Amino acid sequence: MLFAALLTSCNTMPKPESFFQLSPSSAKYKALQSRIIETSKDTELLSASAAVLQDLGFQIEESNTYAGMLRAVKERSAREYSQEIGRVFVFILGIFAQTAIVIPVDLHQQIAATLVMHPIENSSSRFNVRIVFHRTIWKSDGSSGSQAIPPGLQSMEMIYDAKIYQQFFAKLSKSVFLEIHQI
Amino acid sequence: MNCRVLILSFFFILQACSTGSTKPPENLLSLTEAQMKIRSYQTRVFDLSDQQKTLRAVVSALMDLGFIVERVNAPLGLVTAAKFAGSGHSGFVEATVTIKPKGENQVEIRANAIFNTKPIEDPKVYQNFFSTLQKSLFSS
Repeated sequence: MLFAALLTSCNTMPKPESFFQLSPSSAKYKALQSRIIETSKDTELLSASAAVLQDLGFQIEESNTYAGMLRAVKERSAREYSQEIGRVFVFILGIFAQTAIVIPVDLHQQIAATLVMHPIENSSSRFNVRIVFHRTIWKSDGSSGSQAIPPGLQSMEMIYDAKIYQQFFAKLSKSVFLEIHQI
Repeated sequence: MNCRVLILSFFFILQACSTGSTKPPENLLSLTEAQMKIRSYQTRVFDLSDQQKTLRAVVSALMDLGFIVERVNAPLGLVTAAKFAGSGHSGFVEATVTIKPKGENQVEIRANAIFNTKPIEDPKVYQNFFSTLQKSLFSS
């Protein structure tokens, strides 16, 4: 009973009212994901951003100059040593219990970036650039004895690592400079 | 044996009857009063003339709310965004926002959202969206 209660409490669905409510941390994340960049043309800034994303191995999926938006993705393997070791460990434990247990591990990931920019009020040469990184992970299939654990269990997470954003904006500043001076 | 044949024939008659009555309801595509009500609280009019600025503010508001902007169609003023919600990302929310000029100095913004393929019909949800949008529209 307690286990069932715990399970249901873990899977409680969120209230729809919260979907469009700003969370207490949204201002913090916005600051992390945004920078002010000085440039005279918005198209130059957008093209410099696309160049940085290409340098980072992203494929540009969508671009919209009117909205000042770029969307890019890159596909990578999501395999991690720690998960593989855990999988082998559980399998060995299963042998002792005379059941073959293969736990699902992360298999593949798609890292996506959405970039938007808009000019700052009363300034023709300053733009606010915001980029959001997130990743979608696909798990492999698994099995417990004769019962199969289906593949394709997908999870998604936002990336809030400050270093990633700092690196991106450092590269963007350089790229904007190169773009302006046609280097 | 006879009993089995009787049951089987009864089953076939029932099925034949049911296939005859699968006509779509006549009011399938008609606008009901409830739909008009939903539309009214999904829509707000703002005193703004700059369509581009409004579109960018909508995108910005959706990003503030943790949505991933999927598509933007500038000529139509259409923004589609989605996000995972709930513990373990068990839920999926999709939102579509349309921006339409209304006269010379106003824009009409309509938002509609679905949660796990079910439309959200709670007015409070849309009130929250428009209050966030308002901040984004008048702060940038």
